[in-house]
Amino acid sequence: MDRHAGPGQEIPGTSDPVTRLRLDALVEASAEPPPGALGRLLTATRSTRRPALTTGFAASYAGRVAAMESLLGSASPADWSQKIVEGWTLQQLVAHLAATDSLVAAAIGAPVAGPPLAANEVLSRTADMIAFADGQPPERTRADWRAQADAICERAGSMEAATPIAPGGVSFPVSDHLLARMLETWIHTEDAATVIGLPLPRPTSEHLHQTADFCARLLPWTMLFSGVDGGGRAVRLTLTGPGGGTWHIPLDVTRTAVPDEGSPVDAQITCDVVAFCFLLGGRGAPATFPADLQGDTALARDVLETAPAMSGP
Amino acid sequence: MEARGTTDDRLLHQRVVGGDESALGEVHDRLYPLVLALALRVTRDRVVAEDIVQEVFVTFWERPLAFDPDRGSLRSWLATIAHRRAVDHVRTEERHRVSALGSRLAEPEPSPLEDWVLAADEANRVRLAVSRLPGGLREAIELAYYRGRTYRQAAEELGLPEGTVKSRIRLGLRRLADELAEKEV
Repeated sequence: MDRHAGPGQEIPGTSDPVTRLRLDALVEASAEPPPGALGRLLTATRSTRRPALTTGFAASYAGRVAAMESLLGSASPADWSQKIVEGWTLQQLVAHLAATDSLVAAAIGAPVAGPPLAANEVLSRTADMIAFADGQPPERTRADWRAQADAICERAGSMEAATPIAPGGVSFPVSDHLLARMLETWIHTEDAATVIGLPLPRPTSEHLHQTADFCARLLPWTMLFSGVDGGGRAVRLTLTGPGGGTWHIPLDVTRTAVPDEGSPVDAQITCDVVAFCFLLGGRGAPATFPADLQGDTALARDVLETAPAMSGP
Repeated sequence: MEARGTTDDRLLHQRVVGGDESALGEVHDRLYPLVLALALRVTRDRVVAEDIVQEVFVTFWERPLAFDPDRGSLRSWLATIAHRRAVDHVRTEERHRVSALGSRLAEPEPSPLEDWVLAADEANRVRLAVSRLPGGLREAIELAYYRGRTYRQAAEELGLPEGTVKSRIRLGLRRLADELAEKEV
């Protein structure tokens, strides 16, 4: 079952115990790579797949861009024209990501991919970008999307996290807009991974936690957008799994969700951290969402029911 | 049917998929000796083997989703690629040699992965090295490898805690590696 159950069951070509023993001995050998080997490797890998930024508030977005790029690296020519979601092919999906990203790029003064920006709005920008990508090789769409994403990360790196920007007309700190981009990039990568049939690992728990925190803080807004009155009440949200946590969330957009310290709440919601982020991102049905609800369960259901309110295509 | 990846494999894989270069560095430093040894064993040429090692890690970085921790460990996956690349290399060389000679000799098929075993003389050296290990280490290694015991079973038979058996096996493997390294290619 588990590889820790016994030694040496896993190196290929090793049904023979003595061979297994020899290979396991090699793994245990204290030998180190010769000096310069890692440097040569990184020189090679940097020219084929650029590493992601791993520090600062853009890192979790950068991580999902890199994950999408790994998926695209494994995509066959036929995969590029597969329909993934919203009737879009993989290439059109990448154009859609580039379109939504381009609103952020424009808002922070980074170079914008694709045709000149006509409207600060996702749907029409997506239509323009898809038209632009039509007839182009998929590699071009991918390269444009990636170059713009890198430019966003680089530009964001020189900004204060709290700087408000309003791509698509919604004003939030730049760091939150990048978490929104992280979530959308992640969800669409998962959409594509599901269709193509590649297993996609989840983001690191650090990146996942930042996105979960963003989603938790969005709940008062999703209630407001749906016209449901939180009425000054509060919920405790416990997200389980790596990257999870517990938040105290006043259902009032003038107040801020904070890590839970046991303050009284009207309802409690406990659910899986990834499922919750995906619910906010418009994946999964609120009515059948698996969650443990306590206290004012009608309020808790309202929270879950309205959670996808801000998700776009 | 193959063992699943370890937690460590999963975390490193997550980071590599997320473009974290330092995770690639960790995988490289940990598994370089194994991947090199596998490539060297087939090619018997250090320069070629080092090139193959680099290719293997580049492949992992470029297409990390080809590795699925639900289906096996990272070292097993990298080892498989290294072995395949090395066999491909030898095949290509062989083809060149055959065509240079203008011969129509049949190409020898490289042994399929599953049947790959050490050459008899090397297997003998491994067995000899095991027999020279200090008693405690030798017992643990023999139970685990020659008699296919799990760590737990070996611990029961030796009347030792499982952790002790694991560390004896580790230490034994390291001694073996040192002993055998002196006679390496």
